[in-house]
Amino acid sequence: MTIDLNILIGGAAGQGVHSITGPLAKSLMRQGCWVLSSQSYESRIRGGHLFNKVRLSGQRLVSSREGVDILVALNQETVTLHQGELSSQGFLIYDASEVKEIPGGIPSLGLKHEDLLPGVKGKAEIAVNAGACGAILGLLRTPLAPVLSLLKETFGDKGPEVVDWNITAATRGYEQAQGMDSKFSLARITPSPEPRLLISGHEAMALGALAGGLQLISGYPMTPWTSLLNAVAQRAGLYNVVVEQAEDEIAAINLAIGASYTGARSMTGTSGGGFCLMTEALGLAGISETPLVIVVSMRPGPSTGLPTRTSQGDLGFVLYAGQDDFPRAVLAPGTPAQGFALTARALNLADRYQLPVFLLTDQYFADTQFTHLPGEFPEVEVDRALTIGPSSGTYERYAYTGNGVSPRRLPGFGPELVVADSDEHTPDGHLTEDLQVRIKMHDKRLRKLQTMVQEMGGITVAGDPDAPLVLLCWGSSLGPVQEAAARLAVEKTPARMVHLSELWPFPAATVAAALNGAKKLVVLEMNATGQLNRLLRQETGLKADHLVLKYDGLPFTPEYIVRNLSKVA
Amino acid sequence: MLPIELYEGIESAWCPGCGNFPLLKAFKQALAELELRPQDVLVVSGIGQSGKFPHYLSCNTFNGIHGRTLPVGTGARLANPELKVVCVAGDGDCYGEGGNHLLAALRRNVDLALVVHNNQIYALTKGQASPTTDAGQKTTLQPQGVYYQPLAALALAVSQGCSWVARGSATDPEHLQELYKQAIAHKGFALLEVLQPCVTFNRVNTYQWYRQRVYRVEETPDYDPENELWAYRKAKEWGERIPTGVIYRHPRPVLEEAHPALAAGPLVRQQPARPVAQLLADFF
Repeated sequence: MTIDLNILIGGAAGQGVHSITGPLAKSLMRQGCWVLSSQSYESRIRGGHLFNKVRLSGQRLVSSREGVDILVALNQETVTLHQGELSSQGFLIYDASEVKEIPGGIPSLGLKHEDLLPGVKGKAEIAVNAGACGAILGLLRTPLAPVLSLLKETFGDKGPEVVDWNITAATRGYEQAQGMDSKFSLARITPSPEPRLLISGHEAMALGALAGGLQLISGYPMTPWTSLLNAVAQRAGLYNVVVEQAEDEIAAINLAIGASYTGARSMTGTSGGGFCLMTEALGLAGISETPLVIVVSMRPGPSTGLPTRTSQGDLGFVLYAGQDDFPRAVLAPGTPAQGFALTARALNLADRYQLPVFLLTDQYFADTQFTHLPGEFPEVEVDRALTIGPSSGTYERYAYTGNGVSPRRLPGFGPELVVADSDEHTPDGHLTEDLQVRIKMHDKRLRKLQTMVQEMGGITVAGDPDAPLVLLCWGSSLGPVQEAAARLAVEKTPARMVHLSELWPFPAATVAAALNGAKKLVVLEMNATGQLNRLLRQETGLKADHLVLKYDGLPFTPEYIVRNLSKVA
Repeated sequence: MLPIELYEGIESAWCPGCGNFPLLKAFKQALAELELRPQDVLVVSGIGQSGKFPHYLSCNTFNGIHGRTLPVGTGARLANPELKVVCVAGDGDCYGEGGNHLLAALRRNVDLALVVHNNQIYALTKGQASPTTDAGQKTTLQPQGVYYQPLAALALAVSQGCSWVARGSATDPEHLQELYKQAIAHKGFALLEVLQPCVTFNRVNTYQWYRQRVYRVEETPDYDPENELWAYRKAKEWGERIPTGVIYRHPRPVLEEAHPALAAGPLVRQQPARPVAQLLADFF
């Protein structure tokens, strides 16, 4: 039986849940565990209830799961809300100054700040956070040194005194837990032969953008998109990227369009209502044939909805946003490594086909850290697809071509003038009322889809590839569905997961092939109506026999999927 | 001086006698005198009669959507500060639909020229009130007269420390040509509002109406455009007398200098090579 432990750290916003989670997750990853760390939080800066889950195993993890083995409670509410999730081996670590009612029959350790940092006044938060971190490791019977070096890295810029307090409290917490009985031991976990990475979806996408030659990113803050903008901004100085916080989402997208027209590799992004504002300029990118990558990080709507929760409710929106028909691409990564690769690919697709390319993410994908191998982040090819050098004759920005892609030049790089227009236009870019030109130009733009669809794929099959029970999903649902398929196999119900990360133009033939032999097709989505199922039916004529949907703002879990499949399969 | 024929564009669809024609001529003249080749210039426009302006020129052109000239122009400047960028907008376009972008541009001080064709009416949509239509004026959509007071955009710009604020008039093309040259040459955000009669839909603010009122502010004895309070009073002056010329000058650092990424040259001339191994270092 392999080790698979779930640690839940909960408290009010501002109490330091993240201060415990960060060093804990990373130190466990460095010791050879496969770690998956996810976050659940409310739309507030202080108070309320938030929790992080750190799942660790000796085998690769692709999903968070239900159940709690070690519950770390920084307040009473955390105990009340989560004690029912504790497993039979469950253990409670709590802040003794906050938690007064301890459930009976559960082994527990109360952390007292006066024990953790004797003689230090007013530093109860540091004491309890570092102490809890140490106590978890003590309970796991694993060395303390990796977390001490992480605490030094994390708090080094706050001065030696703060580092000392953290180290003292972590050491004392560790010693206290070591003195207690524990059913958990990581002794069977072998250290990794090569260093691994702990990285979130949005962090990986920021790296994909940077490796992919991103030069300008503009945006307006909005949860959950902001973490991607931040992750690029933190590295912008090293890599010569212009980061511009715009006055609103309308400015953000127009600014990126202006930069892209001029020749800088550009992207923008937003969430929910922010994308409502961007739709006006989405069509501008479409008709002006300006390359542009747009990240839409989903949260439940409509309108403000549930700002900090997760959703896959905007697939239909990004597929159809904007007036009339124009070509676009829609990609939706399922893991950080896919996020890295698809972000670099999105930048290439945008340049190659001169159109807007969407990257659909969500709060779960944005914030969840996966353990990855460095080899899963290979060097990427940067394809600008620009036309350079002298032209023969007059340059036409929108010249009619067989594949719909016109040679693209940059303004200021030669005597060829680059004339771009939001009006319907002649091949040289000037506005026109010639309706025959309109038809030819509209057809030219749409032809790009027929070319682009030939290079679309992005299908991942897991589980039993021949199983008649097929679980079709997209985007961030990959992990929970993949694990559900693995659990079903253990229960002698073979299942085939088919995951789509490239949704438009829809690779109908390859999807149909991946679904071949399906006797029971289940489509699983984090929305209320089955948006992928509609797309599937529209593009292939196939449709789900059953839908497994979830739209409460929390991510799928393997358990939720297995429970719901047992009702239909 | 370059030949003015270099800037000849496609045939215009403006009304005969449109107040835009003197602007087009003066603008071409200014480019020729500044010896800016068509390839050195990018004109960004929005929607409205002013949106067609760059089509009637020969230069790099981005004719975008209503109200959004400034963010497009800002992005273009950040990508390639070697391009001379001129944003052309109308009064509805810039002061109405794109108002938030004007506020941000005043704060950003990106090095581009914004030319606002102010005809005090929505002409393309046939005669509704614009943000600069005088209070009380009757229009197709406001038959009882306009209730709002007009936006004093130049006073707003002065109050926010805009680095260069001027007004020109279609009725004084020689003066306007000089202002175009200064606006394009100015380092920083230059706001040039141009009074421009709409001969079809604005029967109040006619050529004659403007001719009777506009004067050159530099003819005011001792006028100092770096005197903020004086500039503010001139920017608010509207009615019997309307000042034209450079109203305010306030040199400030420009946005392009604030972005360290641009120190290595224009983004479009950089070849980013970013080995993945270096990027992964934070995550081990």
